[in-house]
Amino acid sequence: MTTVEDLLRALAPQVLGALVRRYGHFDTAEDAVQEALLAAATQWPARGTPENPRAWLITVASRRLTDLLRSDQARRRREDTVAQWTLREAPPASDADDSLVLLFLCCHPSLTTAGQIALTLRAVGGLTTAEVARAFLVPEDTMARRISRAKKTIKESGLPFAAPAPADRDARLGAVLHVLYLIFTEGYAATSGPRLARTDLSGEAIRLARLLHGLIPLDDDGDTGGGEVAGLLALMLLTDARRPARTGPHGELVPMEEQDRSLWDRDLIAEGTALITAALPRGATGPYQLQAAVAAVHDEAPTADATDWAQIEALYELLTRIDDGPVVALNHVVAVAMARGPLAGLAMLAELEAAGRVVAGQRLHAVRAHLLERAGDTAGAREHYLEAARLATSLPLQRYLVDRADRVDSPAPNREHGDPPNTATEGPA
Amino acid sequence: MKYLILTYGTQRDYDLMTGAGDGAGPTLTPEDFAPMHQFMQEFTTELAESGELVDTKGLAAPVHTRRVQLQAGVPVVTEGPYAETQEVLAGYWLVEVASFDRATEIAARLAACPSPGGIWADAVADIRPIDEYSGGPEL
Repeated sequence: MTTVEDLLRALAPQVLGALVRRYGHFDTAEDAVQEALLAAATQWPARGTPENPRAWLITVASRRLTDLLRSDQARRRREDTVAQWTLREAPPASDADDSLVLLFLCCHPSLTTAGQIALTLRAVGGLTTAEVARAFLVPEDTMARRISRAKKTIKESGLPFAAPAPADRDARLGAVLHVLYLIFTEGYAATSGPRLARTDLSGEAIRLARLLHGLIPLDDDGDTGGGEVAGLLALMLLTDARRPARTGPHGELVPMEEQDRSLWDRDLIAEGTALITAALPRGATGPYQLQAAVAAVHDEAPTADATDWAQIEALYELLTRIDDGPVVALNHVVAVAMARGPLAGLAMLAELEAAGRVVAGQRLHAVRAHLLERAGDTAGAREHYLEAARLATSLPLQRYLVDRADRVDSPAPNREHGDPPNTATEGPA
Repeated sequence: MKYLILTYGTQRDYDLMTGAGDGAGPTLTPEDFAPMHQFMQEFTTELAESGELVDTKGLAAPVHTRRVQLQAGVPVVTEGPYAETQEVLAGYWLVEVASFDRATEIAARLAACPSPGGIWADAVADIRPIDEYSGGPEL
């Protein structure tokens, strides 16, 4: 990315915030800012960046907003034109507040998940509709409709341009974190299979998480939610660190225990580890912090065999108290089996099934197969690997599971470890 | 996640719509099919509006099919390989939605599509997941 693009993306939420605070009309202002950003992207590289780029963008976007509102009102043949959008007295606010309010607005629960993601990338991330569409492999027109529908929902809900009420803040911050997490996993998924010219969504999610971490830093009492923001950023960094090792020469998935750890990004691991180490002791420990802690334990192990599974098991123990979903439950089973042996894992799996805590999907069969294999039940392992393969919709994953089934029968010594790729979590639509 | 919703038809079905049939069945007019076309248009518009539609197309009649296959090492083109009553792909909607269940819900709405005298009341739609890796971080 060029420096002009970096600058524009950093300024995008500030400029939009300033406009909406002054004039309202979030939906039209957002279009106006996009046009100002496009104008800057074409003019600045040629003519040089203005002395005050933010002021330049606000001026251009304000003019454009005026034009858009005028033509809008002319279309509606309204008499009371100018009164509608003259400058109103807005309470002074900082750019930081504006960016945060924008994030809360774009991730509002009244929007669909797909709408939240698209709007966040455009309004806060400063990406063009075309870039967002490319990243999600859909036509620009589809993405444009998704964005305009989200903006229409915001307009019709009459949502104020203000921070959420204190009573709602935790839930609303949770929604923001979830949207950033989904953007990250979409980019993460894109790293396997054919590499098309996609906007780097993982990088964009990390950039937005850094922005949020700057707006809501770690605090000592855990009141503001800064701990989970740091946790999410750490989780992203510690996961992204493994990206260079995740795919083989033919785009096939390489599960973590088979990855070449010399390819892992040490700088990202150091940064992520420092973040999560600082966040854990402060305030309440949330699910993103716990997942980041798990990722840190993996990243710190020099070899797969050196992984501190007892510590991972303890972290999942805590995580299951917050999140009783099937994904966490199955990861917990794997950790138990790695720490205390396959029979302990199988016993736990039977308990979870009896309690209806896990669903009989691809991931369940893959985990059971893996534990049976380690327990020496080759016939059972093979059966469940094949059943998992039958249920997998992704071809690389299916290939991996069939290979595992074949390997069970081979006389060659099996690897002691081998956790199937974790594909239980579904990315955004 | 993306899903392909597929619908099927025979050459005979196409002929019924165009009046090009062999005269064996009833002669149907464009008016007879108007409710069906209107339904499909509304169905598609709604998907486009919701931002879930990626692409949709209807295919020309099966009779226009060309098939290419190797014969004695040479690619040979045959015209219209389908029998008149063989059900083949007639159209598709590519949707991007939150879940398989949502894609199924969308496809199920097609069951309400009117056809003249209910001739296609037993039509089916298939929902096929697109092969895309979707997974969270390995933890």
